[in-house]
Amino acid sequence: MDDILTAIRTAVIQGNAGEVESQVKAALEGGIAPKAILDQALIDGMREVGAKFEEGEFFVPEMLVAARAMKGGLTLLRPRLIEEAVEPLGRVVIGTVRGDMHDIGKNLVGMMMEGAGFEVKDLGVNVAPEQFVEAAKAGDVDIIALSALLTTTMPNMAEVIKKLDDAGARDKVKVLVGGAPVTESFAQRIGADGFAPDASQAATLAKSLVV
Amino acid sequence: MTPKERWLAVLAGQTPDRVPMDYWGTPEATRKVRAYLGCRTRWDMIERLRIDAVVGVGPEYVGPKLPRLTDMYGRRYKNVDYGGGKYLECISGPLEGYHSVDEIEANYTWPSVDWFDYSGIPGQIRGRKRNYPIRGGGSEPFLIYAELRGREQSYIDLVEHPDIVHYCLDKLFDFCYENTLRIYEQIPDQVNLSYVAEDFGGQESLLFSPAVIREFFLPRMKRMVDLAHQAGAYAFFHSDGAIRRIIPDMIGIGVDILNPIQWRSPGMDRSGLKKDFGDKVVLHGGVDNQYTLPFGTVDEVRAEVRENIEIMGQGGGYVLAPCHNIQAVSPPENVVAMYEAGWEYGRIY
Repeated sequence: MDDILTAIRTAVIQGNAGEVESQVKAALEGGIAPKAILDQALIDGMREVGAKFEEGEFFVPEMLVAARAMKGGLTLLRPRLIEEAVEPLGRVVIGTVRGDMHDIGKNLVGMMMEGAGFEVKDLGVNVAPEQFVEAAKAGDVDIIALSALLTTTMPNMAEVIKKLDDAGARDKVKVLVGGAPVTESFAQRIGADGFAPDASQAATLAKSLVV
Repeated sequence: MTPKERWLAVLAGQTPDRVPMDYWGTPEATRKVRAYLGCRTRWDMIERLRIDAVVGVGPEYVGPKLPRLTDMYGRRYKNVDYGGGKYLECISGPLEGYHSVDEIEANYTWPSVDWFDYSGIPGQIRGRKRNYPIRGGGSEPFLIYAELRGREQSYIDLVEHPDIVHYCLDKLFDFCYENTLRIYEQIPDQVNLSYVAEDFGGQESLLFSPAVIREFFLPRMKRMVDLAHQAGAYAFFHSDGAIRRIIPDMIGIGVDILNPIQWRSPGMDRSGLKKDFGDKVVLHGGVDNQYTLPFGTVDEVRAEVRENIEIMGQGGGYVLAPCHNIQAVSPPENVVAMYEAGWEYGRIY
């Protein structure tokens, strides 16, 4: 059992999507618990990818191929996780704020959160504040994650928080912010619950907010 | 000294009469500053703020007629309102969905420099602009590649389809090389700067590994740098972000100017860069465009300009400029304060 989980984990780190898929299929056929495949192979593999990124060994391309391989495995695993009522670590709604079309950073954060065990709903780019509010009000959301690359669109993050407040939904969710020009002090000033400087640290921060 | 003489003194390793100041701004931001100062044109503003601006020259497109909001590469755009202005953002690229070089070869027509008319270039540097440095040609091909393929796919290609990246970068760089050569030929010995740019840096670290940068980019960029040098121009290297790890390589291929010095990013500390590389490249930029210019106070802007000049301007080797295009979100008061402080503190020699 350990061998096949190690093989999946290694294939995730290497970004080998084909290998992840075939090994996850084999593991499921071999009767390994889906939760074990998720935790010990996919999530642990992505944890290692995050560590390598933070150490300066991995860069954006390596992270993207690893995340894609992980997602392939997760897609195979998901029906079985639902069958066995395995709950995600938490639920995240993520998007790039209004006026901003940049999505690489947002996608990486979403992937790293998914790779950490969260269920992630991606609203895309140029997302109106109302869409985040609707998602928060719909319930069953733990974290709203906002991204911006432009200094001109950063103020729209504050707008989302204000609209959450107005709708009485602010205390239902934690709001995380990130993106190149965003800083810890900006996050505090607009009343966000957290800021992370990169995708790997964003996933770690999200975990700390739900446990 | 004229602005051109000031720049050339810095580039020759000499001490100018004062620190030269460059201007980068979006049209909306520039309009706001002009309105604030009551200047009729951009050049009136440049002269009023004593900016040593750079005059860009380039050819005119005379190639096949293009559909609306589509460029010669086949990239399609839409206007996105960010509140206070609009940006053209790429929404689709013509090389999305291809899986091999053969497929691209069979289906795609690369733009040609023959689609451009270069004969108007001498006319672009007449009048008062003669006193300013001239920029022409250069390259920033991965920016184009990322939009041809889709940004995420372009990063994945570096791992999974290196042959496609090599093939396309050859095509894109060949265009840049030939385009630059033709510009130089129009105004021999008069182009001072060519941008050899590529965004290698994220906010916290490099976007690509040094190995990727060395394999895919440096040999091709060196060819552009060599071309500039043969024409008597200087190579202006722009890369956003935290790029400390790759600076020695950039100096190794011969770049003359390092821009934009995002000193709040890890490894980009101003005094460290000045100490380690100040005798090898001119530092250009340094006025923070993520906090100080858009959200800082006038006093913070002035203090930062003074620090930049004191740290990076010692003995020459520094051009004061914003860390990227000034955006409309930056108050005109801050922009004016930047250039007034630059003039005030810039005469340190």
